[in-house]
Amino acid sequence: MVQPIAFGPHRDDAALGTMSRSRRREKIKGVSPVDAILRLEGLTKRYGNHVAVDELSFDVPRGSIFGLLGPNGAGKTTTIRMVMRIILPDAGKVFLDGDPVDDDRRRLIGYLPEERGLYRKMKILDHLVFLGTTRGVPSHEARKRASAWLERFDLGTWADHKVEDLSKGMQQKVQLIGTILHRPRLLILDEPFSGLDPINTRQLKDLLIAMREEGVTVVLSTHVLPQVDELCDHICLINRARPILVGALDDVRARYGGNTWEVAGAFTAADLQKLAFVSAVHKLGERILVELTPDTAPRELLAGLLQLGNVETFGRFVPDLENIFIRAVEEDRRHVA
Amino acid sequence: MWHRIYAIIRREYLERVRTKAFWISTILVPVFLGGMMIIPAWLAARGGGQFKVGIVDLSGHFAGPVQAAAAKLLADQNEKLHITFVVEPVGADAARAREAVKQKVQHHELDGMLILPATLPSKGKPEYVAPNVAAFKLLSVLERAVNDAVIASRLTAAGLDPKLVGRLTKRVGLKTMKLGAEGKETRDEGQGFLLSYGFMLIIYISVLMYGIYVMRGVLEEKTNRIVEVVIATVKPFELMLGKILGIGAVGLTQFILWGFALLALTAPGAGAMLGMSGLQLPAVPPLLMAFFIVFFILGFLFYGTLYAGIGAAFDTEQEAQNFQGVITIFLIIPLVLMVQILNQPNGPLSVVLSLIPFFTPMLMFLRMTLVSVPAAQIAASVVLMLASIVGAAWVVGKIYRVGILMHGSKPKLGDLIRWLKEA
Repeated sequence: MVQPIAFGPHRDDAALGTMSRSRRREKIKGVSPVDAILRLEGLTKRYGNHVAVDELSFDVPRGSIFGLLGPNGAGKTTTIRMVMRIILPDAGKVFLDGDPVDDDRRRLIGYLPEERGLYRKMKILDHLVFLGTTRGVPSHEARKRASAWLERFDLGTWADHKVEDLSKGMQQKVQLIGTILHRPRLLILDEPFSGLDPINTRQLKDLLIAMREEGVTVVLSTHVLPQVDELCDHICLINRARPILVGALDDVRARYGGNTWEVAGAFTAADLQKLAFVSAVHKLGERILVELTPDTAPRELLAGLLQLGNVETFGRFVPDLENIFIRAVEEDRRHVA
Repeated sequence: MWHRIYAIIRREYLERVRTKAFWISTILVPVFLGGMMIIPAWLAARGGGQFKVGIVDLSGHFAGPVQAAAAKLLADQNEKLHITFVVEPVGADAARAREAVKQKVQHHELDGMLILPATLPSKGKPEYVAPNVAAFKLLSVLERAVNDAVIASRLTAAGLDPKLVGRLTKRVGLKTMKLGAEGKETRDEGQGFLLSYGFMLIIYISVLMYGIYVMRGVLEEKTNRIVEVVIATVKPFELMLGKILGIGAVGLTQFILWGFALLALTAPGAGAMLGMSGLQLPAVPPLLMAFFIVFFILGFLFYGTLYAGIGAAFDTEQEAQNFQGVITIFLIIPLVLMVQILNQPNGPLSVVLSLIPFFTPMLMFLRMTLVSVPAAQIAASVVLMLASIVGAAWVVGKIYRVGILMHGSKPKLGDLIRWLKEA
């Protein structure tokens, strides 16, 4: 199990902006009620006639794990690359702590690209020190931090081995260490779980949760939703270059869950359809979901069910990200049509 | 900005200097170049040995004079070459005599046979027949001996005294002196040319080799997908600059190591110790050495930048080959134009060619080894070179910025121009 390294106090804090923290808060408050560490405003990127990202705006609340979700080709990577100024947007702005991101300020972000590699012939520790120094960490300090992280990721004995000797999962860990070596306050990880086995996936999730507790904000981009369901507290769902769902995951769940209950017992979906206060019945695999009219209390449903027979399961339906995602994409499609 | 570029330079430099390939090439290149200079000289000097040559004197009166002339040449030249002549009897049938001696040569009783035709001295060509006709020292002695004998005979027949004629027709030779800028004259018998040619080749090879290292380095970063990790914090231009400077530093390190090796070899006593007292290394003026380094640096920065652009534009070395070839041609043109420069180092065409940035590193340096080039021209070439490097870095920087993130389809020239506009 990974024991995360403490992240504070941060030397970089002073560099996050020339103004004091309280003044910065005020400035952000003036724009929006959320304390956003990262804000995207109308970000747009076109390639010829193809619009890769279309006027994308959202706030990443400080201290959250923020899921940037969407199917393949939705524009997630392009969005992140624009945040990191690896490609420049055609329109729109990105703010970090209230100030526009420029080539200097982007270094305060820890970025793990989707297309990530390492110099194959380099030794692991040397490689990490190199990445650290390009991110402004003095080499002796980078060496110290990298060694500590390698120990914590069970890679201590590999420090003097070449990158090409490592398995893909090990290389992933090395890349992650390189991303956090300069102790960024904001992490942007593009498909961080790809190529990781379940044990390493768990290790990374624990690390991210621990980092959130240290006050680090994490932006995760992925199309594999079950992997981030337990992690994210905020999400932005992108489909075809546009955001179709943005907000706190609890709110989103409440909205998509609504007055929906999951039931099982001596009755069929058809039986339930006949009840007056039921607006819709969904079958989700073997599960039966009952959507009630808005002002119906759950106890009315329970009473109705008991009249039908035995009740084995009765509980509020909490939609997972995958449900939400699929429904939101469907609604978006209907909306466009 | 500079601490990041420094981090890139440091990585490029250390990762390369630590490889076996670097040390092997550092050791092998001088060994190879030295071998190319020393082995032919050594082979030429190694003309000694014992030879037994049969003389088939069809003329009947040249066997004696030829032997005498050969003996005189051998005595004068003080070589370890010994020739024993056996005058073979020639009967009435010349062809049969010839055949008999040929048998002896074939059975290794003789190393070869010298046939003096009956028509000598007025005409006819003597022949040397042997299994080994590459014993150059022996051949040269035989040729001169035959000629000396025949010419002496002709002179005597014309009523002239061969000794007197020899004194009167003695060649005076031509002593070549190189006139330096300050009017200083130095003896130069071809080593000036060899030096110019050698240094120009070294500039050519180094610029090409290290330029291609830059291209491969960029390609490696693309194919290993490391580039996006790096440019998240380092600007593409900084990465490009750091890579070029780091690899250039590796090249300079190699030159410095070679410089030390040369110093050690030319140090008093070192040569004798190595048993190479006969080997004379030409003295290189320090100023010329300085300009050698300057022109290597300028040439490498210019071509290295172009190679970096090619690396960024393509995915593999195979795809890059056509464009790479175009640049290599610019490097080869100076080698072709070299004759022009050698003939008229300060002629208008030479001046113009040496001011063209593509050619400056080699041709301006070549001119400097040959004649004293006006300081204004040197300064102009350096300024033009620097401007071209900045211009190349500006253009390539844009291609680089777009190219390093491109994968898949092979870009065409039109795509490259579009990238220029995009970036």
